[in-house]
Amino acid sequence: MTGRIILSVALGIIIGIFVFPQAAEAYMGIMIDIGLCLLLFFVGIDIGKQGNILKKIKKMGFKVLLVPLMVAIGSISGAILGGLLLGLPINEAGAIGAGFGWYSLSAIELSKHSAELGALAFITNISREVIALISIPFIAKYIGRLEAIAPAGATAMDTTLPVISRSTDGNIAVIAFITGVALSSLVPILVPTLMIILK
Amino acid sequence: MNILLYLVILLLGAYIGYKNLLNDFLSKNIGDIQNYALFLLLFIMGINIGVDDNVIKYFGVIGYQSVVLAVFSIIFSILMVKLVAKTITTEEEGVENDG
Repeated sequence: MTGRIILSVALGIIIGIFVFPQAAEAYMGIMIDIGLCLLLFFVGIDIGKQGNILKKIKKMGFKVLLVPLMVAIGSISGAILGGLLLGLPINEAGAIGAGFGWYSLSAIELSKHSAELGALAFITNISREVIALISIPFIAKYIGRLEAIAPAGATAMDTTLPVISRSTDGNIAVIAFITGVALSSLVPILVPTLMIILK
Repeated sequence: MNILLYLVILLLGAYIGYKNLLNDFLSKNIGDIQNYALFLLLFIMGINIGVDDNVIKYFGVIGYQSVVLAVFSIIFSILMVKLVAKTITTEEEGVENDG
């Protein structure tokens, strides 16, 4: 699975660089949206096949929200530590980590401070998405199914959800979607806030 | 908002899966169909990254820093989730079963 995921993404990147003109970028968003909707429909079927998942989620209750909380703490502290190794200011590294893989929003937010910081947030969070796509099947197999949600961050509700669903099951897919929604709502709040409070 | 659209589509799929409304062919081959659809989406996502000149330009300059930050974020996220994984999954039967 991981091999074929790497192959699909890598082939796309190479063709994107050498075959498609930059003008094609305008149509990519809609293409991805259509593909994504189709896949989310399939993820929904997987979820439905598991039986009454709402009951199970209710049983877990607020504990489900521990997953996004832990991913948020891990992403921010991890980025700060990585930033210390690179000599980045704590607030900048923390804010980039709080992008949780949502590269467009974190980049827009941080380019208000400087173009360089926006670019770093952009590339870091794209890298996070690509690494997540590649590593999720591996993590699900060797570390744990719930842990497989962690690399995805905010993208667990859209682009990486199909990979999580294929690598785990409908139960985890539901938790992943909830995690993605929770983290996505935190991005616009945390990114600017961390820039100020960690200064 | 996209979130609402995603939720509606997921619920629609869940209803069809729950009520078993798919025909035999689709039902039997849904795993393969999903895989091919997934690879197609990943391929398009790859094109989207490659077609953006800025990504390639910046990756050459700050790619190393970006990967360090992304990898640290991911590793720490996994470790933090690992801390609470047991308290969440032990209460929910079926999570460890192969789906």
